[in-house]
Amino acid sequence: MTTAVANPRAGGAGGGTAVAAQARQVVKAYGSGETRVVALDRVDVDIARGAFTAIMGPSGSGKSTLMHCLAGLDIVTSGQIRVGDTEITGLKEKRLTRLRRDHIGFVFQSFNLLPTLTALENITLPMDIAGRRPDRAWLDRVVETVGLRQRLRHRPSELSGGQQQRVAVARALAARPDIIFGDEPTGNLDSRAGAEVLGFLRRSVDELGQTMVMVTHDPVAAAYADRVLYLADGRLVDEMLRPTAEMVLDRMKAFDTLGRVS
Amino acid sequence: MTIVRTSLRNFFAHKGRMVLSGLAVVLSVAFVCGTLVFTDTMNSTFDKLFGDTAADVSVEPGGDGASGGGEMPSTGRPETLPASLVGRAGAVEGAGEAFGVAATMAVTVVDAEGENIGPTTGAPTIAANWTELDRRAMTVTAGHPPRGPDEVMVDSDTAEKHGIGLGDELRTVSAFGEFTSRVVGIATWQVTNPGAAALYYETGVVQERLLGGGEVFTSVAVLAADGVTDELLKQNVRAAVGEELSVLTAAESAERNKEGIGSFLDVMKYALLGFAGIALLVGVFLIVNTFSMLVAQRTRELGLMRAIGADRRQVGRSVVIEALLLGVVGSVLGVAAGVGVAVGLMRLMGLLGMTLSTDDLTVGWATPVVGVVLGVVVTLLAAWLPARRAGRVSPMAALRDAGVSADGRSGRVRAVAGVALTGAGAAALVGAAGAAEAGPGALYLSVGVLLTLLGFVLVGPLLARVVVRALSVVVLRVWGPVGRLAERNALRNPRRTGATAAALMIGLALVAGLSVVGSSMVASGRAEVDRTVGADFIVSSMAGQPLTPQVAESLKDVPELAHVTEYRSLDELTLTLPDGGTARGSVSAASPTYARDVRAETVAGELAGAFEPGGMSVGEEFADAHGLGVGDRLGVAFPGGRSGELEIRAVTSAEAMIDQGVMYVGLRTAEEYVPAERMPLNTLMLGTAVEGQESAAYAALKAELERYPQYEVRDQAAYKQLLEDQVGQLLNMVYGLLALAIIVAVLGVVNTLALSVVERTREIGLLRAVGLSRRQLRRMVRLESVVIALFGALLGLGLGLAWGVAGQRLLALEGLRTLEIPWVTIGGVFLGSAVVGLVAALLPAFRAGRMNVLRAIATE
Repeated sequence: MTTAVANPRAGGAGGGTAVAAQARQVVKAYGSGETRVVALDRVDVDIARGAFTAIMGPSGSGKSTLMHCLAGLDIVTSGQIRVGDTEITGLKEKRLTRLRRDHIGFVFQSFNLLPTLTALENITLPMDIAGRRPDRAWLDRVVETVGLRQRLRHRPSELSGGQQQRVAVARALAARPDIIFGDEPTGNLDSRAGAEVLGFLRRSVDELGQTMVMVTHDPVAAAYADRVLYLADGRLVDEMLRPTAEMVLDRMKAFDTLGRVS
Repeated sequence: MTIVRTSLRNFFAHKGRMVLSGLAVVLSVAFVCGTLVFTDTMNSTFDKLFGDTAADVSVEPGGDGASGGGEMPSTGRPETLPASLVGRAGAVEGAGEAFGVAATMAVTVVDAEGENIGPTTGAPTIAANWTELDRRAMTVTAGHPPRGPDEVMVDSDTAEKHGIGLGDELRTVSAFGEFTSRVVGIATWQVTNPGAAALYYETGVVQERLLGGGEVFTSVAVLAADGVTDELLKQNVRAAVGEELSVLTAAESAERNKEGIGSFLDVMKYALLGFAGIALLVGVFLIVNTFSMLVAQRTRELGLMRAIGADRRQVGRSVVIEALLLGVVGSVLGVAAGVGVAVGLMRLMGLLGMTLSTDDLTVGWATPVVGVVLGVVVTLLAAWLPARRAGRVSPMAALRDAGVSADGRSGRVRAVAGVALTGAGAAALVGAAGAAEAGPGALYLSVGVLLTLLGFVLVGPLLARVVVRALSVVVLRVWGPVGRLAERNALRNPRRTGATAAALMIGLALVAGLSVVGSSMVASGRAEVDRTVGADFIVSSMAGQPLTPQVAESLKDVPELAHVTEYRSLDELTLTLPDGGTARGSVSAASPTYARDVRAETVAGELAGAFEPGGMSVGEEFADAHGLGVGDRLGVAFPGGRSGELEIRAVTSAEAMIDQGVMYVGLRTAEEYVPAERMPLNTLMLGTAVEGQESAAYAALKAELERYPQYEVRDQAAYKQLLEDQVGQLLNMVYGLLALAIIVAVLGVVNTLALSVVERTREIGLLRAVGLSRRQLRRMVRLESVVIALFGALLGLGLGLAWGVAGQRLLALEGLRTLEIPWVTIGGVFLGSAVVGLVAALLPAFRAGRMNVLRAIATE
């Protein structure tokens, strides 16, 4: 399996190592005995710092589970996960929460924002929770990058779906986390709004040096990444560097036929 | 049918969410039913007692207000019948047996430790001869009935309570003196004894020492021969004894005995039902909120039903059916719980000294009917509004993301109506405060209370925005972002917050209003004592026994006292007005020194003049009503038959708390007209110490009264304390009963929070994902709860203060002249409600904290 993991393309912003997160022999199983279902089966992954990684795979391949485990939202059955220099397997709930708060950003498919807070308040929420003052200059730059200057005082209900996702991206960026995880961040958007959001994600990697991991089943979305990891039946089966939408689609079709044959 | 099935499924799917509203229904219905069962049980207990112990026909002294030992006579001398009547009544056709009953309640019995063994509950001490009638209700379980002049038998309850055994000595005190007897028997009740102390003496002892001597009885009992009805026997006895005496069948005397107790039971019943009603009202808010939230949460589902063809009424009906189920289940459980409440109330009465047996537990058919109907109707009414809202859900809702629709228009209507009602209510309260007469003022007050309450309920959501923000600045901001999240959550749905807080508001408004009136009462009482009472000491009895002549004499002999004032109530007398008309008025006779001891304010004349021979005073209201003034003459029909014409020398102010409206005559004047045996005993006595000997006099009086535990002497400070204690006791009772409404309101806060937490599952998941710790999350829920509770407290206390002040202003007409706002109580309630908020949040916060992050995020 380790052979499938290539060396990362570039070093990231800050940080001592080139690896932002790492999974070693990670197993995630549900239930026991006869009904035991293995969602992740001895997965090894290195997430490169300062790069944009996409995780692909059919439904039930374990791609979301992998992301949840890497992000400290879910607990692995066995194996190790490191985020930055921290071994997170075996961490207490309290430490995990703090890790998420201080080192990880999230962009979910939908329902990313608290309806009671304005766009700006949503953006600064993780820092507020942590009791940290946001870095004004950085915040300005993030807001500028996602193009939300005019919308900061609006409530989520007054924003379009694309705008809401951009606020979510801004929130993830604002706290300068080590990694941002996106779970189908464009899944609920039309193609134009989706392209816009993906553009921001790409730019945040290129211009701000952000590390980004995105789960998706959309080849077009995956094409924005530097590297695509393919999961099937809980195993890492392939990877692709500098993908294009056509290449991703072809690869998926190949897996599909393979799956049908086997 | 489908609708019913969906409703059923929904009901059971959400049964967890129904629990708290169901509990509100259960509690309220339980309290209503408990009250009914309790009073029914009391009633049947007394029925049984009086029914069992009544003679088939009894002959009692007739005349005005005669009661044959049934009441405590103010003269200390029960009215009696000659013993010869026994023979005459027993000789009539249809009479099986006749015997005399000698019984009196005008006694106090003291044990060896000098303690009064009489009940402290207001139930009487009965001293009587041991007759057939008593044998029906009691059996002698130790020793034997009294056989000699020094012997006495005690009932077992009293014996147990005071540790009295055979051979102990008891001292019996009455207006005729006192004597000591030895306990030779103990008799145990076979029916429930609701708390009276019963003592049995030889017939001669009762006649000689408790009834004033001679061959007399207080009533004659006639038992019917076989086959003779009570009615027939009554006719025959009536013919034999003449028209002047009252002749009663068993049913009639039971009825008569019950009269006093029955009205007390009625008052108690309606008071308890009133508090149950308040709790039910509070429960309505809870139910409205629950169904509103369930409807909001199910918007998409309801939209889907509409989209696939259910019409508005069907959708609305599905909600109503759920409410019906809730109402039925809640009420049935409530009725069952009500029996438990009744038993609890009976135990409580037991603690207070009234023995009630659960064997007599009476559940009338009306109780479950009233309970279920009430519970179901109230639940349906409460669910009506949410049901209508459910019907208005558009089919489009199925397609939209579940969003909360803002109801701007009805919000405005509501605000306008609320402000209008509050304004009208406030005007009525101001009217009540400024009213010149008590009658219309009370009407203004009740209208004002009602309208402001309604108005506040309506504008609650509007106020929520302002007040919660203000509270947040003070309370929440210190908690930083978590506080802000809590504030936003509380403000998110002002109607929900408003309704939740309104439930709390009702109970607290009543607490605040009553506490203002109560402490004003104490303050006014103290002020009045300071202003008008010149006497140093007041001697009286708590249970209302008059002071026996011996006690009165011994007090007069205390050398440290400069003077002693006697005070006797002549009760309601008939007065002949100058224009020939008649009126009733309560007249008291007192020593002339009373004018100095209680300087009742006069609006005309000098009070001292009223106590001089031939003089009297009348109250301001009486004088106004009959156009009387100083110098007019009134005919007074004194007890015992003689009338006198007295001149009004003073008119006393209506703004008095002590003796308001009482007419005074001098003691000498009364003695001139009232025969000695009809002269009431002193109901209280006042003493003034020789200058500089106050404490010695106080000690001497206490020493003098040591032998008479039924009386107490108080100096001014102790008397003021007594006023305060009495008001405090009353308030505590009312607060205790209001606690039910407050508990239901707290359930409402729990309910709102719990449902909100469920509703916000995804938000909570998101917050947790971006790094909110469990502690912070729990704190967020707690702070929201606290702010809702404080909001409710603020509204309630504000409203209650306004009610209380208006009430005090109105009651100023009746002497409640000093306004005192109990800031300590008010502040305590405010802080207490913050604690209530914390407690209410315990469970919802725990649940929120336990929520699985991943599952919360994934929730649809």
